[in-house]
Amino acid sequence: MLKEYLPRDIYNLIIKNFSFNDITEIRMRANENIIIVVKNKKFYLKDDNGNYIKANAFLIENFVRRISENSIYAYNNSIINGYITLPRGIRVGLCGFVVKEDNKIITVKEFQSVNIRIPHFIKNCSLAAYDFLVKDSEVKNTLIISPPGSGKTTFLRDFVYQLYAHNISNNVLIADERNEICSVVKGEAGVNLGGFCDVYTNCSKKFAFKNGIRSMRPDVIVTDELDLEQDLPYIIETINCGVNVVATIHAKNIEQLSLKHGFDSILNNKLFSRFVVLSSEEGPGTLNNIYDEKLNCIYCR
Amino acid sequence: MKWLLISTLICVIMLIAFALTEQYKDKFDFYNNLKIFLNQFKINLSFKQEKVNEFLSKTECKKQFKIFIDEYKNYLKTDNLSFEKIKILEQNERLQLENIVKCIGKYNAQSEIEQLDSFILDIDEKLKKANEDKTKLCPLIIKLSLLFAIGLAILLI
Repeated sequence: MLKEYLPRDIYNLIIKNFSFNDITEIRMRANENIIIVVKNKKFYLKDDNGNYIKANAFLIENFVRRISENSIYAYNNSIINGYITLPRGIRVGLCGFVVKEDNKIITVKEFQSVNIRIPHFIKNCSLAAYDFLVKDSEVKNTLIISPPGSGKTTFLRDFVYQLYAHNISNNVLIADERNEICSVVKGEAGVNLGGFCDVYTNCSKKFAFKNGIRSMRPDVIVTDELDLEQDLPYIIETINCGVNVVATIHAKNIEQLSLKHGFDSILNNKLFSRFVVLSSEEGPGTLNNIYDEKLNCIYCR
Repeated sequence: MKWLLISTLICVIMLIAFALTEQYKDKFDFYNNLKIFLNQFKINLSFKQEKVNEFLSKTECKKQFKIFIDEYKNYLKTDNLSFEKIKILEQNERLQLENIVKCIGKYNAQSEIEQLDSFILDIDEKLKKANEDKTKLCPLIIKLSLLFAIGLAILLI
């Protein structure tokens, strides 16, 4: 999976010491030990003699060159947003020297650290919540809440697949701003989300919501990582058009979410009728609570 | 028999002469193709922004320029870069090519375009020089060879 991108010796050490299916993150920082995260536990990568393996700036630069297929210019928009998406939904977060011109970020160079996030497809992980989110073949407007790395996207993917598996033949439009949900590479989705999905990849929510409604006639729009301040107008407009929305947002719980700017508007306008709270207590995608539009808890773990 | 031998000798000398001129023509063609390649890549950066390997796979090429493209593709796979196989180039020209290849794809589109402009200027100089060599040296080699062949024929007669 990462064989063609990582230096061969490092890749060999990783597969020798860890099961790739369990790894959720690989972190490389210049002049620091390489860290492998397995099921939320951090391990240092060691060689056969027990010495820690350090990354360096050259290694990171070469890694970025490889993941960008020697074509930084083709990935520059993505790099400006801080990541590059690889096939099968692997997302590489990038940190380095941010180059600005006229106060506008034009690129990032001299990469100092990378965080390789490997997604895991947990089949049926949304099944416990399914009956709360779909009624009479209609998907309720749902906001999925969890901190980073707690399985929002995994849950979202599985939920979309469950719609297909339950034969809910709604047209699902996926606004995949970071190419994380569907991992489309050269026009082909890297994950099986069923046969009712249309995907906008690497586009803003504004574009996907506005153009998508007109051109693809969706019944449901699915999107990842809402920014309430920025995206709320499009959500309101979409729901008022009669299209349902399933989205995710970063927050630890409902209390933390309520502190976010724009949350009052969600409640007052009754935009979402289901709030699903996830955690990684028993692995990513652990279903903690489901709330209704009045924030009554209708499911508690 | 004697005339047959003489005419064969003249033919051989002229063939060698044409073979000698071939490298100048090849060099001109090579730099011409390289200039076209860089210009097309510049256009690619302004619009389609195809990745380097995709762009290379669509580049039509033959003779010495094909070696260049093949070595470039090999570099993308293995990180090993050498243009030793391009015999028509001198060592400093090969190093310059390596420098160009190693720089492509490392920056954002705007910087790439600026960088390509400077490369194209350099290649333009090489192209002019190759053209001068081709237009001056090729006829000269042919003429000298012909004179040599005729002189040899006279001596043999």
